Amino acid sequence: MGKLVISNTPHIKSKSSTKRIMIDVLIALLPAFVMGIVYFGWYALLLCAISLITCILAEVVYLLIVGEKIKDIIRKFDFTSAVTGLLLGMNLPPECPWYLPIIGGIFGIVVVKMLFGGTGKNFVNPAITARIFLVLSFASFMTMWGEPSIGALFPLDSGATSGATSGATALGPILQGSSQMSNLDLFLGTGVGASAIGETCKVALILGYIYLVIRKVIDFKYPLIYVGVTGLMMVIYQGNINAFLPSILSGALIFAAIFMATDYVTTPNTTLGNIVYFALLGILTATLRHLRGTESVSFCILFMNFFVPLIDRHIVPKPFGFKKAKKEVKDGK
Amino acid sequence: MKNKVKDLALDGVLRQNPTLKLVLGTCPTLALTTAAMNGVGMGLAVTFVLMCSNVIISSLRNIIPSRVRIPAYILIIATFVTIVRMFLNKFAPTIATAMGPYLPLIVVNCIILGRAEAFASKNPVLDSMFDGIFMGLGFMLAITLMGAFREILGAGAIFGVKLWDFKIEFFTHASGALFTYAIFIALFTYFSGLYSKKSKQKTLQKDKKEVEA
Repeated sequence: MGKLVISNTPHIKSKSSTKRIMIDVLIALLPAFVMGIVYFGWYALLLCAISLITCILAEVVYLLIVGEKIKDIIRKFDFTSAVTGLLLGMNLPPECPWYLPIIGGIFGIVVVKMLFGGTGKNFVNPAITARIFLVLSFASFMTMWGEPSIGALFPLDSGATSGATSGATALGPILQGSSQMSNLDLFLGTGVGASAIGETCKVALILGYIYLVIRKVIDFKYPLIYVGVTGLMMVIYQGNINAFLPSILSGALIFAAIFMATDYVTTPNTTLGNIVYFALLGILTATLRHLRGTESVSFCILFMNFFVPLIDRHIVPKPFGFKKAKKEVKDGK
Repeated sequence: MKNKVKDLALDGVLRQNPTLKLVLGTCPTLALTTAAMNGVGMGLAVTFVLMCSNVIISSLRNIIPSRVRIPAYILIIATFVTIVRMFLNKFAPTIATAMGPYLPLIVVNCIILGRAEAFASKNPVLDSMFDGIFMGLGFMLAITLMGAFREILGAGAIFGVKLWDFKIEFFTHASGALFTYAIFIALFTYFSGLYSKKSKQKTLQKDKKEVEA
């Protein structure tokens, strides 16, 4: 027999840490990131890189101003700001000016995250809030839809200009039920106008989703609930069963459902709470999309983030072994 | 007397700044800070009303029965607001239209009623007049600065003079107003904290010296 070791709880430790989870999220984002660059060209890569660097720098500079030592900052660096940066970059329209990711990154990291206490204490998703800040500030740039093309990376003829059109997204006709897009085009993201670099290729997004589920970073149920409820509500609103696939495949819904809505900090603590949260999110998204006729996923997620404390307050986890007190004590057999 | 005026000035502009410290009169602060000029206009109007109402209320403080004091205050304040409105409509109609419904709403501005209740009803006439002037100045300073901040960022201009084309429209929205307000309160609290620390240290040193002497 070995020596009896007496230690304080917790006794079971796993390798799971914020750092590992965030690196997993970065890996899961990679396929969609690569497809975004394939579709939209080098400028999309530049935008993502600017956003990533701005977010990391903003966090480091903030910590330096607050008075942390550079050694501690490097030791504690947990890649959350890198995830925020990459998500923000992939949330931008591919044709927007270069200074948007800088402004958005600083706003997202400093105002939304660091001023509220840093990683794990932000009450709304920094990347979503930064995107909304940019939409409110630079509406004309943020509603410019890029036209993806496979040849964007290495254009054969130098005269080919990218077809940035304003306001004409795949979502508009779909919401009016007059879309000419095939589901396959929507699924692969080819030939569909996109408002964000990362949202186009659904195959790549689903690859990332599978990776996250296998690594147990996210629960497989929640994105499915969100996407499913949104699709169902759209079917109900339009009274047409064929509306299901186009409505879930278009816009940023799948991207947001996998990577943005599932942020740990801004989701409820319990399974039931999460189901309520994602179902409400789906209903809200479909309703707003139907009524306003534009993409509203980011606004819905921000809005529902405010409800997380409310959900957590009313759906409380049952302690292990807890039994409800009976009103009458019966004589048991 | 001089010390008292200085004290009242410090109270009004810094230590008890109505906008940034007492958080009174938030409606015009949030709605009118889209431009620096609005702040000056609103600030002057409020200062005038505050000064006059403080003087009248203070001189009537022993006559007004305490049970009906609030309606009496409102009546006095409304009189001066009406005067300001008539004056602006006649001589500066652009400012009057820019301020819109917030001009008549000065009647229910918490700063004026708050100062009437907290200061003018208990203090002599001259003190109340100075209190009104400096409280109004504190309000004007705060909303003019906030207006300048929002105008520079949101419209790329200051006092209507265009600076550059770059603008962050967020700051012209209502959300931008709340955001700006929060930033200003935070900064003000931070700097006033530094100031009070310094003055505390000074008084401590003074006390020490006196003890040593």
